[in-house]
Amino acid sequence: MPFAPNLPIETERLLLRPFTRGDVDAVFAYRQREDVARYLFDGPMSYESCAEAVQARIQQVSLAAENDRVTLAVARRDDAVLVGEITLIWRNVASQQGEVGYVFNPVFHGRGYAIEATRALVELGFSGFGLHRIYARCDPRNTASFKLMERLGMRREAHFHEQTLVRGEWTDEYIYAVLAKDWRGQSASG
Amino acid sequence: MTSPTLPIETSRLRLRTFAPADLDALAAYYSLPELQRYLDWKARDRIEVKAALDSMCKDVSLNRPGDTISLAVERKADDVLMGQISLRWHDATAAQAEIRFAFNPAYRRQGYAAEAARAALDLGFNEFDFHRVFARCDARNSTSARLLKGLGMRLEAHYREHALFQGEWDEELHFAILDREWLRSPKVHEFSEHRVA
Repeated sequence: MPFAPNLPIETERLLLRPFTRGDVDAVFAYRQREDVARYLFDGPMSYESCAEAVQARIQQVSLAAENDRVTLAVARRDDAVLVGEITLIWRNVASQQGEVGYVFNPVFHGRGYAIEATRALVELGFSGFGLHRIYARCDPRNTASFKLMERLGMRREAHFHEQTLVRGEWTDEYIYAVLAKDWRGQSASG
Repeated sequence: MTSPTLPIETSRLRLRTFAPADLDALAAYYSLPELQRYLDWKARDRIEVKAALDSMCKDVSLNRPGDTISLAVERKADDVLMGQISLRWHDATAAQAEIRFAFNPAYRRQGYAAEAARAALDLGFNEFDFHRVFARCDARNSTSARLLKGLGMRLEAHYREHALFQGEWDEELHFAILDREWLRSPKVHEFSEHRVA
């Protein structure tokens, strides 16, 4: 039975909604940037690549099989400006494991949008979808990213040394993770 | 990638491909509870052991990611099959292999597993030019963890409840070592003269 979350999801200041064709410009604005792409698997993206990516994302609104993903645009409720994107991937059916990913436009950094959006996504993964464990990965040089994972209450479970070739360079990786029971414990204590 | 130069001999061991005649020796240790506790492949009865052996008999070369080389570990003094070690070309990432091993408890505490593992790491780094070799073990399997640390491998991950193993949530450790770290280890020079077919 596919899991189709009720969208959009509203948080205090944000709307987590499916992508639309009209989002290509806003996505290209940050996905073309060197500083955004530096620690991601894909390099800076061209307009065409963004258009293709957005087109694919329009369908990514439910989880039916392993490795399916829900990819949502993160927009401000007051002015509808798109500030970033978040993803929940169903990584393993048997063990109910999920992965979250996110990319935010640096222009909107420092306002807590990322933590607000990812917190809602992790909550969706556990309460809505019933996952057992959710993890996130990043390059250890991407301090902002793993600091976010730590603020989400995730525990660093791995530091892989030179495990992946990213654009010709051997790269380390952090894996952070949180269990459903730990997440619920966090919310319970406020 | 290719077929390695086999058998590999160390000071006390011979690492060779498996043969159908190994069935009895394999069955002797696969069924033991100590091994069943940590093995993640089915091998509880003779039929399952034979199936595992048939599969390992074919694991003789690395041609593409996902391939495995499975080697029987024999004691040279009496040709006894004491255990096994394998190198799997990990399919998700380039130039990476996973090392796995299982030994009959009757032959423990004599350094055989470490000696075989060192030969397998030599094989992986020197003959196959892997960049990184990793190993996984249950966090409660302190014998394996100690052995991997003793090889100079680094503890890189400690997963909690990321998979169900034999119906229970696991706790898994990942150890890993890079090519330049292995080649610098003095142990490698000590054993390099034994890499003779």
